[in-house]
Amino acid sequence: MTLTPTPAIAPQPIGPRGSIGDRARALLTNPRIHQGVFGIGVFFLAWFLLIDLFAVWRFGGLPKLVEAVREWVSLKPIFGVSLFTAEYYKHIEASIFRVFTAFSLATLSGITIGILMGWRRIFFALTFPILEVLRPIPILAYIPLAIILLPGRETPIIGLTFLAAFFVTILNTLLGVQSIDKVYYRAAQSLGFSQWQTLWHVIVPGALPYIFVGLQIAMGACWFSLVAAEILSGSAGLGYKVWETYYYVQFPTMVIAMATLGFLGYVSSALVRIVGNRLMRWREQILSGI
Amino acid sequence: MAETGQLSIRNAGKIYDPDGIHVVALQRVSLEVKANEFCVVVGPSGCGKTTLLNAIAGFDQLTDGQISMDGALLASPGKKLLPGPDRMVVFQQGALFPWKTVMWNVTCGPLKQERMAPAEAAEKGRELLARVGLHDIEDSYPEGLSGGQKRRVEIIRALMNDPKILLFDEPFRALDALTKSVVQEHLLELFDFAPKTVFFITHDLEEAIFLADRVAVMTTRPGTIKKVIAVDIPRPRDYRVLTSGRFLEIKAELGEAIHEEAKKAFEAGERELA
Amino acid sequence: MSNHVTGNDAAYKLRIARQLTVSYRVGRWFRGLWSLNLLLGVISLSTVTFLWEFAAPLGIPGLKNVPAPTTVIAAATDLLVAPQYWTGWGLSFQRIVTGFIVAQMIGIPLGLIMAMHRFSFGTIFPIIEILRPIPPVAWIPISIVFWPAREQSVIFIVFLGAFWIVLLNTIGGASQIDRKYKRAALSLGSTPRDLFWKIILPATMPSIITGMAVGMGISWEMVVAAEMIAGNTGLGYLLWQSFEIGAIAQVIVCMISIGIAGYFSSALIRTLGGFATPWRRLH
Repeated sequence: MTLTPTPAIAPQPIGPRGSIGDRARALLTNPRIHQGVFGIGVFFLAWFLLIDLFAVWRFGGLPKLVEAVREWVSLKPIFGVSLFTAEYYKHIEASIFRVFTAFSLATLSGITIGILMGWRRIFFALTFPILEVLRPIPILAYIPLAIILLPGRETPIIGLTFLAAFFVTILNTLLGVQSIDKVYYRAAQSLGFSQWQTLWHVIVPGALPYIFVGLQIAMGACWFSLVAAEILSGSAGLGYKVWETYYYVQFPTMVIAMATLGFLGYVSSALVRIVGNRLMRWREQILSGI
Repeated sequence: MAETGQLSIRNAGKIYDPDGIHVVALQRVSLEVKANEFCVVVGPSGCGKTTLLNAIAGFDQLTDGQISMDGALLASPGKKLLPGPDRMVVFQQGALFPWKTVMWNVTCGPLKQERMAPAEAAEKGRELLARVGLHDIEDSYPEGLSGGQKRRVEIIRALMNDPKILLFDEPFRALDALTKSVVQEHLLELFDFAPKTVFFITHDLEEAIFLADRVAVMTTRPGTIKKVIAVDIPRPRDYRVLTSGRFLEIKAELGEAIHEEAKKAFEAGERELA
Repeated sequence: MSNHVTGNDAAYKLRIARQLTVSYRVGRWFRGLWSLNLLLGVISLSTVTFLWEFAAPLGIPGLKNVPAPTTVIAAATDLLVAPQYWTGWGLSFQRIVTGFIVAQMIGIPLGLIMAMHRFSFGTIFPIIEILRPIPPVAWIPISIVFWPAREQSVIFIVFLGAFWIVLLNTIGGASQIDRKYKRAALSLGSTPRDLFWKIILPATMPSIITGMAVGMGISWEMVVAAEMIAGNTGLGYLLWQSFEIGAIAQVIVCMISIGIAGYFSSALIRTLGGFATPWRRLH
């Protein structure tokens, strides 16, 4: 299977990497970087012009860019949340803790169940119907049940976040196992692998690409459910903060919370992707061949 | 090398029944392969040669007939045969594990069966790889190798398990002609050095005659053995054999038989059964 | 596919004849129906339902606080005749359709342009990647402030959720079109217009359809979220309301309703998508 380069994705430069100066120069002259900066600049300019400066039409009621930035970097923010206040980090920590716990649990259980489902037909036949019944129900519709079934305040939020990631992970793991070319199973049989050896050396690595795609989606699903759950029943956390700032009309802080959410979401997905790339080092050679 | 690996196929038959459509893939196939003999089965696409190979390997079961090795019954309709390292397969589309290094791929068989110590296996792996012209690739991943390199690694992987018989399922089909002829020469060198029983299937008549001790022509579906010829060209052979007189004589003799089958297959619009 | 049975072998003929008899075929169909898979599925679902129903006497922690299936069915029969249930359905559905369609109308053209035009991709993609990780739910307050009516705020959130998905899938699909198709078209003398309508668009269709099906599922998530948090009508709102008044059985009925709705709308998209890409139906 030959891989043709796609126009939308710039091929990575191959060959020996130059000095820091060379690389910096390459970065500065790369047209893609220019375009990106231009695009982002246009966005912030539009924000500033439409909302801050001219307050056009309904845009006038929206949070102002300058105020938000000023609030974010000030030592004594008006509404109490900035880079330099403890409260900011309290909310960040609360949200990160929940996502981390839920995501880890979902990864462990989801991958295990997904692999079992792909490996053993009996297990699949027993679990798939239950899964297909539960999966179409939107995660947030589970909030009441979560609150009833799980004690306390934290657990329902974590439970909900877990559920979102759980279904996605199982599904993608299952797809991953099913995507493994049958010829690899035959090779393993010929080579005399035991069932466990086949599982560990064929099934798990073979499903890994799909699993990691699933984990990235799951991470996104985690943040989505977390925010909703925090809004509906929380007392701390970035999602809760977004709602609270709306209620108390603290718009600059709302922007801070939203931007932080976006940033954390991006970083966490990128982390998953990086871990995936390290675990799947064999794929580097395909990519570097483009 | 011990004189083991004698393969005996008697009256093999295989009937598929997918969705109620009755397909006779093999019909009364009989073939004897002597120990350490290089036997090639040639036939058009869809004739059933892959089915036969799968039956010997253990991926599929015959509905009729028997397969024996060294006098012992391996497979019959009542006796299910499982795949194993005594009948290693080199697959058509390549089955090197892409997520493992070349060295791991090559040594995994003996290591998993605990027949060799890791150092010993690595040493033997390196030696065999060098023998087919592969040096310094043990830490590469398969996707970084060329087609010819991948095929050779897979052959070495099969050999490392010391099988009684090596099964090749059109292994060089995807290679370009030049690479193919070089890899074929490497293959023959390997077996000149350490003979093994080989069961090789292909649709390429020239490849068949070049490699084989004996060539069997299989008819189009339902497959059966039409003609068997001994290739008495002396070894070691190189590419110059392809234009020698004896080679062309054999090719003429088999060519008519196989061309007839090819035309029948073409008219029937056969597609290769998996 | 004709089958060349050339042998005169009686055994072969006998075997074939046997397999064509009616009893054999009926037996096979029957065995297929009662396959192990189906049986196990039925067993597992019944076991779960059984445990749920009798959770209280069995003393299963947590689950006993949840209304049993029989209670839920009773609540369902009550709810299914209540007008606000069906109006809720209608309103939620309306919002989804609106948000979803707007997302497609903006997302598909934008995605195609970005895939075909390097400059637009380079400028627009980074800002998309910055905005996308912000969960649509976090946009609810802004949406409420910006849009004059609650209805539009909810639709906007549905739109956001579906928009990212359709955009990414369209870009992905359009940028992976094998170059050889475009080259074949150009060498056959097609204009840029032809190229777009006859090559690029159909080749991107499967990805667009996938994006739609996934986007539809996401839309249901969004509408429920938006209605629960900021709505005052609709199925999501009904669910939250039922919870607040303690009618848990009703909550479960709403959950199941939304689940069924989501499942069928995704399935509908896939079926319609199958008609738009007839060349794939050979699978």
